Amino acid sequence: MPHQWGMVIDLDRCTGCEACVVACHAENNISTVGEDQAARGRAKHWIRVERYFEGEFPDVKTKFMPVLCQQCDAAPCEPVCPTFASYHTIEGLNGQVYNRCIGTRYCANACPYSVRFFNWYNPEWEKPLNLQLNPDVSLREVGVMEKCTFCVQRIKAGEIQAEAEKREVKDGEIQPACVQSCPTKAMVFGDLSDPDSEVSRLARGNRGIKLLGELGTLPKVTYLQKDSWHGSENA
Amino acid sequence: MQRRDFIKITAAGGAAAALEGCGNPDHHLIRFIPEEDLLPGIATWKPSICTLCPAGCGTLVRVMQGEAEVIRNGQLGILKMGLAKKIEGNPAHPINQGKLCPRGHGELQVTYHPDRIKAPLQRTGERGSGQFKEITWDEAIKQLVSQLSGVPGPSRGWWAIITSPLRGQRKTIVDEFAYALHGGHFEFEFFDSALPAVDLGQANYFISFGADFLGTWNSPVAQSISYGHMRKGRPGQRGKFVHFESRISQTAASADEWIPSRPGMDGVLALSLAHVILRDKLRPAGSAGGAAASIDGWTQGLPDFAPEKIEKQTGVPAATITRIAHESAANPPAVVLIGDSAAAHTNAVFSARAVSALNALLGSVGKPGGIAFSPALPMRGSQLLQPKSNLSHMEGPGSASFAMFRDMVTSTSKAPQVLLLHNANPVFGSAQGSQVRDLIAKSGFIASFSRFIDETSALADLILPDHSPLESWLDDALESGSAQTVVSLAPPAMAPLHNTRSMPDVLLDVAQQLGGDVAKRLPWKTYDEALKASFSELYKEKGTKNAKDADDFWSKAQEQGGWWSTDEKPSAPASAKATASPAKYAEPQFDGSANDFPFYFLPFASQMFYDGSLAHLPWMQEAPDPLSSVMWGTWVEINNRTAEKLGVKMGDTLAVASAHGTLQAPALVTPAIAPDVIAMPVGQGHTNYTRYASNRGANPISILAPMSVAGTDSLAWAATRVKISRVGEGRLVMFGASMEETPKDLKHR
Repeated sequence: MPHQWGMVIDLDRCTGCEACVVACHAENNISTVGEDQAARGRAKHWIRVERYFEGEFPDVKTKFMPVLCQQCDAAPCEPVCPTFASYHTIEGLNGQVYNRCIGTRYCANACPYSVRFFNWYNPEWEKPLNLQLNPDVSLREVGVMEKCTFCVQRIKAGEIQAEAEKREVKDGEIQPACVQSCPTKAMVFGDLSDPDSEVSRLARGNRGIKLLGELGTLPKVTYLQKDSWHGSENA
Repeated sequence: MQRRDFIKITAAGGAAAALEGCGNPDHHLIRFIPEEDLLPGIATWKPSICTLCPAGCGTLVRVMQGEAEVIRNGQLGILKMGLAKKIEGNPAHPINQGKLCPRGHGELQVTYHPDRIKAPLQRTGERGSGQFKEITWDEAIKQLVSQLSGVPGPSRGWWAIITSPLRGQRKTIVDEFAYALHGGHFEFEFFDSALPAVDLGQANYFISFGADFLGTWNSPVAQSISYGHMRKGRPGQRGKFVHFESRISQTAASADEWIPSRPGMDGVLALSLAHVILRDKLRPAGSAGGAAASIDGWTQGLPDFAPEKIEKQTGVPAATITRIAHESAANPPAVVLIGDSAAAHTNAVFSARAVSALNALLGSVGKPGGIAFSPALPMRGSQLLQPKSNLSHMEGPGSASFAMFRDMVTSTSKAPQVLLLHNANPVFGSAQGSQVRDLIAKSGFIASFSRFIDETSALADLILPDHSPLESWLDDALESGSAQTVVSLAPPAMAPLHNTRSMPDVLLDVAQQLGGDVAKRLPWKTYDEALKASFSELYKEKGTKNAKDADDFWSKAQEQGGWWSTDEKPSAPASAKATASPAKYAEPQFDGSANDFPFYFLPFASQMFYDGSLAHLPWMQEAPDPLSSVMWGTWVEINNRTAEKLGVKMGDTLAVASAHGTLQAPALVTPAIAPDVIAMPVGQGHTNYTRYASNRGANPISILAPMSVAGTDSLAWAATRVKISRVGEGRLVMFGASMEETPKDLKHR
């Protein structure tokens, strides 16, 4: 059975530090767009940290939630693409083939998680910032939609390595950049088709929920709800 | 447009395209012979040390072959070389264990920044005019040698070097250099780097007074790792975290309970918790040990700090204090931290002593789940690696705080004859009206090792640009963040891109050229030679188990990213000595009257820019601040009810005025701040700091009052009061994809 890559994000561990956000930029050659384009809503963050305040002063609670492509099994972005640029890979990823994309932006409209980003201009890296670019990840040109790939370049590299060594991919061996950077280990990545993998085990836990699960998108990212203190005054 | 014009345009475009087809203009450049043997497409991982904040995390740099435009011997050309492509945490390093904070990724952009200074510069125009010409390293070093010979002298005054806080052999070199030449080494930092190692992972109850330990304070990655463990790493056991501060900070946001308290009341609250614990006999009498004698009224049970008596003054209900005291005593190990704004009020010494007494009472000092200090380096030849803080430069090699420099220049109104600067930007980090800004500019001769033009290095007469950290040898002897002894070491991860030199190498070169005492004290030709010498000492003392001989030890340390002990116990802090005068409550003082300036002003360290030194990196500018989601700008936090009363809406431009200056920034209306507090991130407001940070936002440091923490020379940066007024509509650039309401499944359980 092919791998089914999935992720668990423990909101009780997440501190909203955004190490994942910058790690993603560094790994995936995401270009910065500058203040004016950012003001028009054109900044690209494949993973973002949403912050919610609940209540009024002085009783305010805060919650952070990292949101990235949920790699849905019933992905609303896929059937709307006229050129099959958005497609479902055999390993369950919502793939995006940049050189098929003609920029209709139907996929971004269809996505309920707002995790698809359009290139309104050609990306620019003022020299020598171009030297930071990761040669394993293709650059996206103007008119092309881009999104989180679960760091497919790392997945492929891990699979090729395992195959060369004639073995299975080990649990935890492949880590997307966000997971790798996360200081509180809030994010866990792995193979959902293996019931014993850490990600499968955590996803089955009673705190697990799917973001906008009622839409029937079948996301492969599971959030573990924030917990509260169970101790007592005289525990 | 007419059809003719249209055709013309296509023709012109075609011509341009045809020209380009003849070849990429890059290829007209000559190609240098590669200096390294690299396989294309194959990544190697080289250990390095993150230098962007004082935490000292170990990193791995992914290096791959690439082509870079470089200047070699004055000739521009293309070089096939190893290029850093990504920075990751070093899994073997005890501090960050393979993890990294958002800022840590930025060293890549420091290295490849388009505005890096690419060669030594000599000032040609007026000081501060920004007019420089490139000179050779020989010329630059000759100038520095001639400026430094003869100072200090009766006719030539004194000299100083201001750096960021340094550790390890790098610090030894600067300290010895300054000492041998009778100068002063001063370390500048706006936010104090703290010292304790907190064993948060084992704690069951955790109270923080203002310390932003998950964001920027002390060793945030190490603390975040253990925070995650405290939350969910121990099945069935989840620690509680309580945060006292007048605003929800990056750290407070993760607290189980955020308790807003009035600014400067941290010591009072700590003693009130102690009062309840003593009154209700929640801990054995005498468990505070020596700490008891250090607090006035402790032996009487701190009657003045009964929760009912301090309720009004602190803004915290008596019932809450009583409950927290009971919870903390009932859930050991419990630990209390104080830092950031709580340590930046005029009465912060009292607050810190109150917190340390409370820690002693809770039994958390030097125990698992408590507070400890990294073990002292146990080497006899320790002058090479042992950090020597708090030594006045008059007594021996060592460094003093920037505050001492400030007091020296302002009390005598005499600027140094020669001023050297490295990784420090005191002009940005000082208030508008502060004399020290003007006096720095009046120094006889200013030389900077800066990689970038910033507000301070813009004043330099000579710039000797440092390598990027990825291009340098690095070392670090950590004082905090781990219960182990950690000495980090890293060879350069890549060859230098520009005509730069490592700061310690330049100092060693200058020392040799000056000769005499300084050459004797610094006998090494290069920084890596000095590092090798210190590691040979370390091998004799500690490394014989881990390596065959000193050379083996040295090469293993380079491979691993340093040396760390595996069998040491953390050292407990020296027990608090009974002081002649026990600490007494002192009311926090604020600059400006409550009538004229109705709001407390709370600057805070920015999650992305730290103290402002990272505002020049486009990744940091475009990453939305986690709490405000603001990009490329700054903001002023104001309580939503206060804003409503004043008719202020989200994004409106506000003028914030203290008695010392005024600034303008857009309003961020939020429930997460007390109604009488105005908060603002430090980091933006640079007037001169590369194309990405210059003239963007406002700098809250610029309007601070010159208040000091009583009993110290530290700036009390949370002791200014301000007034605000609405100027008009403004612009706040936020990352807009986030949703308005918490999805229902994700509400707090």
